[in-house]
Amino acid sequence: MSATSRYRHLFSPLRLGPVTLANRVVFSAHLTNYAHDGLPSEQHAAYYAARARGGAGLIITEEHSTHPTDWPYEKLIHGFHPEVVPGYRRITDAVHAHDVPVFAQLNHNGGQASSMYSRLPVWAPSPVPDPLFREVPKGVTLAEIDEIVAGYATVAEHCRAGGFDGVELQCSHSSIVRGFLSPATNVRNDDYGGSLANRARLLLRLVAAVREAIGPGMALGVRLCGDELIEGGTTIDEAVEVARWVEASGCVDYINTSIGVATSTLYMIEASMSIPPGYAMFIPSALRKAVDLPVVGVGRFKDPLQADRALAEGHADLIGVVRGQIADADFVAKARAGHATEIRTCLSCNQECVGRMGLNRWLGCIENPRTGKESVALPTPIRRGRRVVVVGGGPAGLQAAATAAERGHEVTLLERQQGTGGQVSLAASVPSRAEFLDVVRNSLSECRRYGVDVRTGVTATAAEIRALEPEVVVLATGARPQAPWWAGGIERIVDVRDVLDGTAAPEGHVVVVDDLGFHQATSVAELLADRGCTVRISTSGMVVGQDLGVTLDLETFTVRAAAKGITQTTDEVVLGAEQDDGGVRLQMLTHTTGSTTDVHCDWVVCATHQTPEDELWHELSGAAGFEVHRVGDCVTPRRAHAAVIEGHRVAVGI
Amino acid sequence: MLAGRRAPSRVVFGPHETNLARGRAISQAHVAYYERRAAGGAGLVVTETASVDDSDWPYERAPLAADCGEGWASVARACRPHGTLVLAGLGHAGSQGSSAYSQRALWAPSRVPDVASRELPMEMEAAEIRAVVAGFTRAAELAVESELDGVEVDAGQHSLLRQFLSGLTNQRGDAYGTDKALLLREVLAAVRARLGDELVLGLRLSCDELAPWAGITPEHAQELATDLAAGVDYLVVVRGSAMGTSATRPDSHTEPGFNLELCRTIRTAVAGASPVVLQGSVVDPEQAEHALADGAADLVELTRAQIADAELVRKLGTPERVRPCTLTNQRCRVRDNRNPIVSCIGDPRSGHELTDTPVDGSDTPRSVLVVGGGPAGLEAARVLALRGHRVRLVEREDTLGGALALAARVPGRDRLGLLARWLEDEVRGLGVDIATGTEVDLAGLSGDVVVATGSVPGPRGYTVYDGGRVLDVVDLLREPSLLPEGPVAVHDPVGDAVGVGIAELAAAAGRPTTIISQDQVIGTQLALTGDLADANARLQRAGVRLAKRSVLREVHADHVVVTDAVTGTPTRLDCTTLIHCGHRLPDPAPAPEGAVEAGDRVAPRTVHEAVLEGRRAALTLATRPLAVRP
Repeated sequence: MSATSRYRHLFSPLRLGPVTLANRVVFSAHLTNYAHDGLPSEQHAAYYAARARGGAGLIITEEHSTHPTDWPYEKLIHGFHPEVVPGYRRITDAVHAHDVPVFAQLNHNGGQASSMYSRLPVWAPSPVPDPLFREVPKGVTLAEIDEIVAGYATVAEHCRAGGFDGVELQCSHSSIVRGFLSPATNVRNDDYGGSLANRARLLLRLVAAVREAIGPGMALGVRLCGDELIEGGTTIDEAVEVARWVEASGCVDYINTSIGVATSTLYMIEASMSIPPGYAMFIPSALRKAVDLPVVGVGRFKDPLQADRALAEGHADLIGVVRGQIADADFVAKARAGHATEIRTCLSCNQECVGRMGLNRWLGCIENPRTGKESVALPTPIRRGRRVVVVGGGPAGLQAAATAAERGHEVTLLERQQGTGGQVSLAASVPSRAEFLDVVRNSLSECRRYGVDVRTGVTATAAEIRALEPEVVVLATGARPQAPWWAGGIERIVDVRDVLDGTAAPEGHVVVVDDLGFHQATSVAELLADRGCTVRISTSGMVVGQDLGVTLDLETFTVRAAAKGITQTTDEVVLGAEQDDGGVRLQMLTHTTGSTTDVHCDWVVCATHQTPEDELWHELSGAAGFEVHRVGDCVTPRRAHAAVIEGHRVAVGI
Repeated sequence: MLAGRRAPSRVVFGPHETNLARGRAISQAHVAYYERRAAGGAGLVVTETASVDDSDWPYERAPLAADCGEGWASVARACRPHGTLVLAGLGHAGSQGSSAYSQRALWAPSRVPDVASRELPMEMEAAEIRAVVAGFTRAAELAVESELDGVEVDAGQHSLLRQFLSGLTNQRGDAYGTDKALLLREVLAAVRARLGDELVLGLRLSCDELAPWAGITPEHAQELATDLAAGVDYLVVVRGSAMGTSATRPDSHTEPGFNLELCRTIRTAVAGASPVVLQGSVVDPEQAEHALADGAADLVELTRAQIADAELVRKLGTPERVRPCTLTNQRCRVRDNRNPIVSCIGDPRSGHELTDTPVDGSDTPRSVLVVGGGPAGLEAARVLALRGHRVRLVEREDTLGGALALAARVPGRDRLGLLARWLEDEVRGLGVDIATGTEVDLAGLSGDVVVATGSVPGPRGYTVYDGGRVLDVVDLLREPSLLPEGPVAVHDPVGDAVGVGIAELAAAAGRPTTIISQDQVIGTQLALTGDLADANARLQRAGVRLAKRSVLREVHADHVVVTDAVTGTPTRLDCTTLIHCGHRLPDPAPAPEGAVEAGDRVAPRTVHEAVLEGRRAALTLATRPLAVRP
C-alpha cells in the first residue's frame, strides 16, 4: 500500500476559496519570538520555508498586530507599520518556492496585554482586567472600534502587498474579537454588547472590511474558540452560532478552531502529554455539522495516522499540526514517502517551544536543535569520514552519534546498559510521562538509519576507546545520583532513580524532597501514591514543581495530586535526618520563619542534584592522538534539552 | 581625583541593568540615557555591566564587552563635555547567569546550583579560568581603545568573581579554592596591566553576603579590601549574594543608606589606600552629603536617585527641587524575562530619552483648567506651569495627591508620599492656582481642560450574604480607624504591593489575618520589584495565613468561602471583615468635548501611567492650536 493511499484523506487536495491545498496538514499560527523591532525576520522566512519544503499543505504565520495599542509581548510583529511588507515578501517568496500557500494571521490582543511596551492604555471591549496581565484596560469607544476595523483593513492590505495567499482573523486565544464575543469580558450595553449578535458585530464588521481590503483573489479564514474553559465564557453552542453567521457573511473561505484562552487556560490550548491527543476535536466536529465551510481541527496531533483518522471520521476537513512540525519539519514529506516511522515525533513536553515562548525567548524544540536556527547555516564538516567514538547512549550521546553519522562520519556508540536511552528511559517509565521516551527512540532510529554502530552492554574504558583508534571521542557518560549531605548513609533515604529503576520500593509514609522543581519529584510522588503510599512533597522553593508552570503541567499535576492525596509543603529545608524506629526522622526548617519541625516517615526520596560521571573525561582530556569532547550531564547534570543541544553542537563541529 | 583624573562631583551613577542594548551592544538609547545624567552633574558614570566572555549571557539584553567598543566610545564622547568620567562596567555572572540564550552550561567555581534558578553550573577547569582572565583583559583593552576613563570590575552580588571569593560557592580543592581571592587578584592584575596607572580601575565588592555560615562576612571583607585596595583606584562597598537577590538594591522596605556602617568599616580598614564608595539605597542628597562629611565614604553612588532626577547634582543648591526616588523599584528594576526598559514612576522620560521630548520649553501662554489633583493632574499642572501657562487646578478632596497619597499609607510604601508632596510643592512653587475641596461639573466645562479625576470602586466577583462585611481598601486607607476588631481576610486578586501591605497592616494591628490569592504564591507581581520572596517571608513571620490558589466566592458574617483555583474544592476561612483590594474602574463621568484625559480615569493603573499621561496631556494641550474665540 502506498503512503498516499495509507493516508488517503490526509493527502487529498482541498480548495479554500481561491487557494488549493495539496494536503490537509496545516502549520497553524503560533508565536515564535523571531521578530526584531516589530518586523518579520530572516529567521521567520527560513522557519516557514523549512516546513513548506517538508510538505505542509498550508502555512499560517504567527499573528500580525493591527494597532499600536496592541503590544502584549516584546517580539510581536507590528503589521500596521508599512515597513513590514519587505519582510512579508521574504516569507512568502521563501514558502512559495516550495509551492505551498501561506496565510497571515491578523490580530489585536485586546485586553490580554499590558502597557509595558506600548506605553498606551490597553484596549478592550470593557474595563475587565485579564487574569494574567492584570491591567485594567480601557473600554473602547465607538470611534475606537472604527479605528480597530480600519487597522485590520490596513494590515490586510500589507499582507496582500507582501504576497500572502490569504489571511486569517484570530478570534480566539488572545484576541480583542474573542474579548467582544465572550460574555466574560464584554459587559458593554451598547450595540457591541449584550446579545450574541451584538457581541459578534465587531467580528462581522472585520470580516467585511478585510474581504474588501484583500479582494476576491485571497482566502479569508476565521479562527474561533469553541470553549473558553472559563467561568461565564464562550461555549460550543455560541461558537456554532457565530460560525453560521461567519459563513452567511459570504466573505469567508474556512473556519479554524481552538480551545481555551491564552491568558487563563493556556494549558488546554498547548496541552502537554498529560492530556489525551485529539481532546479538542468536539469543536470542529460541532462546527462542521453546522456549516459547509472547511473546518480546521487542532489539538496534539502527533502522527499522520491519527490525523488521517480524524479526517476519515469527519471531525474536520484540515488538521493543524504545529508542534509535530516544530519537532520535524519533514513531518508531511516523510508520511507521503511512506517513512512515517522516521518522523521525529513530538513529545508534547513543551520544554523548549511553549516553555521558551512564555519567557520571551525564541522558539526551539527539545529534540530538534535546528528549530529556531533554520536561518543559520551549519558549518561544513572539517573532513568527512572521521572515526568518531561516542561513549554513552542517553539523549546527548544518541544525538551526537546521529548527527555525526548524518554528516558523514564513521560513528561507534558504546553504552554500558543493555539498552540505550539513559535517564530518559527511567523518566518515561512513569505512566504520565511515557511519551517522553520518544526523544531517545527518535534519535536511536536516526542512529540506525545513518549507520551508527551501536554497541550496548559495553563498559568503555580508556584502553578500549583507544583500541578503536578514534579521531574524535565524544563523552556522554551522564550522571549518577548523589545523596544530599544530610542523608548520612541512611538506607531508607533514596534517590528518585532508585525508585524508578526498582532498586528501592518505598512504602508507607514517604517524603519526597524537591530540590529540582521539575518532573522528578512530582513523577515519583505520583508513582508512589499510585502504589498506595502516603506522599508529601517538600521543597525549599515557593512552589512544588515550580517549572511545571512553564511547560503547562502544573494545573494537571495539581488536579492529579489532589485526587491522589499528595500533600505539598513549601519554603522548607532539610536540616538533618536520623534513623528512627525503622523509618526516618527529618528535621525541617521553614526558612521564611526560622521555625523547625520533625517529620517522621518510612522513606525519603530525594529529587536532588546529581553528580557527573566524568572519570573518563579526566582520564582522556588532553590525551594525544584524538580530540575529546564532553556533552550532556557529564559536563554538569541538567535537563534533556541541554543534552540534545550539546550533542548536536559538538557533532556538527567535528 | 581618581588615577589623576578629576571627577566633577563625588556622585556616582552606578552600573545597572537597563535593557537598552541593541543586541548585546551599548545603544544610542544608552548614550542618551548616560549623557542626560552627565549633563545633570554626575561625577562618574559606570556603564551597564558587560560580560567579558561569551560564556556569560545572564539576560537577553546583557551587553557583551566584545560588542561594546563603539557604544562605549559614544558614551565617552557624549559625557566628556560635562567633565564626567566614564568607566565600563565589566563582569561575568557565573552561576547566576542563564543558559537560555547561550545554550551552554553555566560556569562556576564549584557545582553549586543557584538558589533562584536551581540550575547546576559546571565546575570551571583551567581552560575556563584562563578564558575569564583573558576576557577581562580583552575587555579592558577595548575600553582603552574606546577612550574611556577606565573600567569597574564586578565582584558584587551577581558575579563569578564573588562566587570564587565565597565559601558558599567555592568548594574547590585547588589553588583557587585554598586562596579564594586568587582569581580576583589575577583579574585585577591583568586589567591593571592593560589600563596602566593613568586610567581608573574600580572594584565593586560584596563585603557582606548576609550568610555568615560560609559567606563573606564584614570581618573577612576588611582583610580582603585591605589586600586589594592598593591595586585599585576606588572600591564600591556592596552587600548580598545569590542567597537573597534583593539585598543589593532592595525596595523601600529596607532603610535607605543601609550600607553606611559597613562602608565606614571598610573605609577605616583600607586606611586611605583607595577611595571608598557608599552604595545601597542612597537616594537622599542630604544623607549622601552626611556620609561624605562624616568620613563614612569618599564617593556616593546615587543610581536610582539619578534615574528619578537626572539633574540631581545640578539641583543640589536647591535640594527641595530634586524629584525624590521612592525606592519602589517598580520601573527601574528590570531583571525580568520581558525585557522592560529602565524607567521611573516619577520621570517616565528616564530610559526613553531618545523618544520622549524634554518637558521644559515655552509656549504661547494659555489658560488651562486641570480637574483632579492626583499624580496625573499634578504632573499635567506642573508641566503646563513650567512651560509658562496659567493653570488652575481643582481637587474635590481637601488635600492633593489622590491615589498616590493614599498608596503611601500602605506599610513599606511611605516614600510614595515624597513624590506626592514634591509634585504638590512644585505645582505651588510654579504659581498654579489651586482650589481644593472644590467640585466641578465636568459637563459645564469648555476650553483647555485636563481631566484626571481618577477611579471608582470596581465590581466584586463574589457574593456577599447577610451580615457579611466588606471594606474597600481605599476607604480603609482614607480612614485607618475603619479597621474593625476581629479576624480579617484580605482579598487580593491583583497581587501587587497593596494586598500584601494591607495584610501586614492588619496583622500589625493585632488582627488575625488571612490573605486570599488565586495564585500559587502571594504577591506575584512583586517579582518585578524584587520583593516577592521577602514579602512572603514577612507575611509568614507576621503570622498571616496565606490562602493560595484560592478564589473568593462567598462572604458571610463570620467566614468567607474560597474554592481551589485548580481543583474547585471549597474551603471556609474564618473572618468577620473582608478587605477588598480588587481592580478599580475609571471615573464614569463624561469628559467635556475637547478635554484631554489622563491617568486612572482612562484606565485605573499605577502612578507611572498617571504621571506619563498627565505629562502627555500637558504637552498635547501646550502644543495644540489656540482656539479662535468668537
